Amino acid sequence: MSYFNISKEIEDIKKTLNNCVDFSSRIFIREKQQIGMIFLKSMIDQQLLSNAIFMPLQTFDGKFDFDLLQSNIIKCADVKTIKKEEMILNILEGKVILITNFSRKILSIDLLKFPTRTPSEPPTSPVLQGPREGFVEDLQTNITLLRRRIKSEKLVMEVVRVGSQTQTKVCISYIKGIASQKVIEKVKDKLSKIKIDGVVDSYNILSFLEERPNSLFKQIGNQEKPDVVVAKMLEGKVALIVDNSPIILTIPFLFMEDLQNSNDYYTNHHYSSMVRIIRLLGLLLAIIAPGFYLSLQIYHYNILPLNFLVTIADTTQGLPFTPFLEILFIFLLFQILYEVSLRLPSYLGLATSVVGALILGDTGVKAGLISPPGVIIVALSKIALYTIPEQSAQITVLQLVFLFIGGSLGLVGLTSGAIYIINYLNTLDSFGTPYLAPYAPRISSDLKDGLIVKSIQRMNSRPKSFNPEKKERS
Amino acid sequence: MKKLIKSYIKNPMLFVFLIILIFFTPMAIYSPGENKIKGVVTAIGIDKANEEYEVSLLTFIPTANQSYKQKNTVVSGKGVSVTQAVYNAQLAMGRSVGLAHAKTTIVSEDILKDEDVSQVVDHISRISSLPENTVFISTNGKAKELLESTTTLETELGLKLEQLIGFNSLNLYSIDTSLEAFYRGYYSDTHSSIIGELNLADENTSQNEQNSSNSQQDSGGGQEQSGEGSASSSGGMAQQGQSKKAISNQGGAVVLKNGEMVAKLNSSQLNALNLINSKSINQIINIENVPLSGENRNLAYRVRNKRVLKSTKFENGYPVYAVQVSLGLQLSEVDGNHIDLHENTEMSKMTQDIRDKLNFKLKSDFTDALKVLVENKTDIIDITQEFFRNDRKKLKKFIEKIDNIDEFISYVNFKISIVAQPD
Amino acid sequence: MKQSINIRQVGILLIMTIFANKILLMPSLLFSEVKADGIFVVAVLFLLEILTLPVFIILKEHYPNESLYEILSKKIGIILTKIIYILLIVFFFLKVLLVFSVTYVYFKQQIYKDEMIWIALISFLPVINHAVISGIRPLSRTMEIFFAVVLVGFIACLSFSLFTRINIPYMFLSTPKSFFDSIYRHFFAFGDIFFLFLIMDRIEIKKGQSKTLYKYAIIGMILVLILYFLYYSKYQVTSFMHNNALADILVFSVQFNAIGRLDIIAMITIMMITLFQMEIFSYAFSDCFMKIFPKLNTVYSVIVFDIIFCLIYYVFIGKYEIMIKTTLEYFPFLAIIINIVLPIVFLIFALLKRRENEKTD
Repeated sequence: MSYFNISKEIEDIKKTLNNCVDFSSRIFIREKQQIGMIFLKSMIDQQLLSNAIFMPLQTFDGKFDFDLLQSNIIKCADVKTIKKEEMILNILEGKVILITNFSRKILSIDLLKFPTRTPSEPPTSPVLQGPREGFVEDLQTNITLLRRRIKSEKLVMEVVRVGSQTQTKVCISYIKGIASQKVIEKVKDKLSKIKIDGVVDSYNILSFLEERPNSLFKQIGNQEKPDVVVAKMLEGKVALIVDNSPIILTIPFLFMEDLQNSNDYYTNHHYSSMVRIIRLLGLLLAIIAPGFYLSLQIYHYNILPLNFLVTIADTTQGLPFTPFLEILFIFLLFQILYEVSLRLPSYLGLATSVVGALILGDTGVKAGLISPPGVIIVALSKIALYTIPEQSAQITVLQLVFLFIGGSLGLVGLTSGAIYIINYLNTLDSFGTPYLAPYAPRISSDLKDGLIVKSIQRMNSRPKSFNPEKKERS
Repeated sequence: MKKLIKSYIKNPMLFVFLIILIFFTPMAIYSPGENKIKGVVTAIGIDKANEEYEVSLLTFIPTANQSYKQKNTVVSGKGVSVTQAVYNAQLAMGRSVGLAHAKTTIVSEDILKDEDVSQVVDHISRISSLPENTVFISTNGKAKELLESTTTLETELGLKLEQLIGFNSLNLYSIDTSLEAFYRGYYSDTHSSIIGELNLADENTSQNEQNSSNSQQDSGGGQEQSGEGSASSSGGMAQQGQSKKAISNQGGAVVLKNGEMVAKLNSSQLNALNLINSKSINQIINIENVPLSGENRNLAYRVRNKRVLKSTKFENGYPVYAVQVSLGLQLSEVDGNHIDLHENTEMSKMTQDIRDKLNFKLKSDFTDALKVLVENKTDIIDITQEFFRNDRKKLKKFIEKIDNIDEFISYVNFKISIVAQPD
Repeated sequence: MKQSINIRQVGILLIMTIFANKILLMPSLLFSEVKADGIFVVAVLFLLEILTLPVFIILKEHYPNESLYEILSKKIGIILTKIIYILLIVFFFLKVLLVFSVTYVYFKQQIYKDEMIWIALISFLPVINHAVISGIRPLSRTMEIFFAVVLVGFIACLSFSLFTRINIPYMFLSTPKSFFDSIYRHFFAFGDIFFLFLIMDRIEIKKGQSKTLYKYAIIGMILVLILYFLYYSKYQVTSFMHNNALADILVFSVQFNAIGRLDIIAMITIMMITLFQMEIFSYAFSDCFMKIFPKLNTVYSVIVFDIIFCLIYYVFIGKYEIMIKTTLEYFPFLAIIINIVLPIVFLIFALLKRRENEKTD
């Protein structure tokens, strides 16, 4: 009866892993019994290794038995037997593999340790009041963050691996009995069909899940805060936690969600309603303002009040550019400044603001290259864009599109463009949920969390738009 | 490439939209702002000279970094028709005419006297970009001179012309003096309409005063409110030319019949006619020689509120127009010797004497003003319409009898009762 | 999968079609024919139009899941059905043309320099086509989103007109002959409710919901009648001079307004209403087209629509008056067939079906 030839086995594995630097192995020999340990030094807790495995092995006297080894000797919580094919993957995941020459079974012991971040407030979604924790890159920590908030046996966490090279864990998380079964099935189906070699961030699998991957518009939600994700799961959504990514995906997604902010639920709901309306106005202003200004200037001077017309005429009189080129120029200037300020180290930030705002803006106006109304309009729309920072990428593209439409087709073009885009958004269905719900189609019971926010007491039913299995919140 | 084409076929409309944008973007890049290719006209003046029309346009032409003064110029053109004159003015300006902000149309009295003005303003009213609330007024001099005098006026006081007319319209005529209102009268059964008037006066001694201070002009607005005295607010003088003219706002109006001028009403006549106009409450009533506290005094009352009840009926086959006016009056001035201020409270109580005098004065003023209308067979206070609204059949019969709707107003018997109360 | 729309969306489609052609040019056309009695002409026509609604509801009750085409081809044979559908194609195509021509007048006068008007067409067509291709559900949802804007714009136009002096217009000045002539001539601008029959298989009506349809129809009609009333009140004898009722009603008579010209409210409202109407009628066109040529893709119907539209537009370019006149002079009979004769036929079908059902019970 032949069991493992340990040194040969170790050699084989070493070869499979291309003699990598952090490969480590050790053979423990007592009389004729040999126990081989294989692991990657970089991935495990070496202190724990000596305490939980070496010491007990050394101090144990008697004959080793595999079951004894698994149940008694090794002092570690996560010990399980695995198949031979799974060996390599387990090693790569930071587990210690025990093979023996007295059993065919293989033991995998979880001693994973690597540097992680502690949960901190995510920079993109700060709150005034409310929880400040944010997700981190580690899957386990993220699961912990969710688990801590939902102490229910119905919380489901299923793991799927995606990526032929990276073998990244994707955790499908939902609350059984609340999330729509159809959505869950569809998500699983889509995940299983993903063909990609690596998943570096959750964004990599996003476009595989979207129903219209080429679309400009976001069809899957992304969240950085556990409280928000829990709230969404309670609404009947499915959350996807991707290992090594602090961004959690939520499915299905509505356009309305980006107008909502976790702050809204932690302050007075009347105020939240007002803020949401302002966000919507900001969104409209951000998209339309430059195009509208252009169309007024090029085609519809007659709508402008005389005094405003006089101002515009005065300030644009000496400009070398046509109105379109002027606005485009200012637009590009702002966009470049924005990109620069993102990339630049913070101690250079002051320099950019001086160069950008003072020198380029002010001197541009004084030199007669750009006009003050033009600067104001573009600046206004650029600022308004950040009332909904989650959509800033989409809005920036739309700004440019509407700039072109407004400049070339005028007001009629703007109206047609707006209707075209809304019509397009209406053709998007995110996992069976109408994208613009609860407004198109109007679902009156869901309006309580629409633009007008009702108090939390009155949010006693889940949004119908996600087709939850259980409608009442009780 | 195949894939690209396929993806476009899947979503063809996006493709079409893109193509359109590609075609139109060059247009966007090349097209200048409309304010650069159009002269923004803020007022239009029409004159007639030697069988030719002369159209003057008060135009705003922007020039970078210069004061407001240089930008308002009057451009004029002549032609056998108004259209041609506008076209010629356009040539003189070097820009196309943008009438969207033209808020004032001025026609000289010469035109009003000779011909149907509706034909003259026909061109203007057909321009759809012209705002429909364009003010329509006449002037006794040349419209061009009026516009020229406003260029200096505007440098000092902003858009004064419009404000002047607007003030008149709100406080003096209590009627719209817009193009639309003119047409409404013109197309009504009686074909009579009324438009405001802004006169030009030869520059005289007031010129020095006017140049010395601007505050003088501001107070002009205050004086106008006293409807009785003819206040004049002198505007700026014309920039050039031998005869210096200035705007003199007397708050008068011109009455038109079939588009031709038949009479002029001065501001006191208008004030009197407005007795039965419930919308006009900004009136002042002066009565003289009222015995008060043992002395004869002149009193000035201001109308604070007004209720007008009108009724029409046919008595013995003749039309009777009964109006009941209740006025809420506030004593605003007492003229005479030795007045103690605390006497005023006492005096604000209206004695029967004062009531009688008020009654008499208002009625006689109204009848006087009405006489002008009756003489000229113009019904600008819409009496015929009132009868039409209330008793269509009888009116029709009556008009058949007199055979001329224009004569109707002269048959109307006015019964006016005035109840004056302290407010 | 069959896309279905709910009753609220149907109501919104209904309001949009009720606004069609009536809010711009028609008041002044009617004034030149029958003076302020135009209001009564419209009221009578609305009355005739709304009678179609109960017929629709009864038919829908008896044939809840069948399309009009299926019902017709069962009852009167495929050939007759196709002939009716060809008539419908002509009808709806003319409707689109009429809507566009009327708006064309408005664009020409108010929005663009003369040479720029074709821009309107260029930017309208892809939007309409996209809406038609994407189907009835996105189309009606889009309208649902913009409905609030349109309604607020419309009501704003009406209420701003109240700032000026308003006198009750003089009614009953027309002769009976001119009155009835006028009703006949303007029949074509009405009869839009027929659109509902075409999409009847795509409408979800739950029990007791049919009242909602009346509600929306009546709201739309009342708004239009109020517009007529205010328009005639404001302009009185000069009504014939003002061609764009909804926009003109908004103009102030008071001299100053700090906001400048408020037309922009009317402009945007009108543009939206026009686009939606063209979308609806174009959808109806495409729907009929697809029934006649069932094997073709929707894209073909859109292409055919575009080609005919552009051709006619090219031939009659700038001669919008011809289009308007033609529809007024030569096509009322078509509207009468579609708006009165066909509903009566449908009513008979529905009653026959009811008798059948009673027998089987």
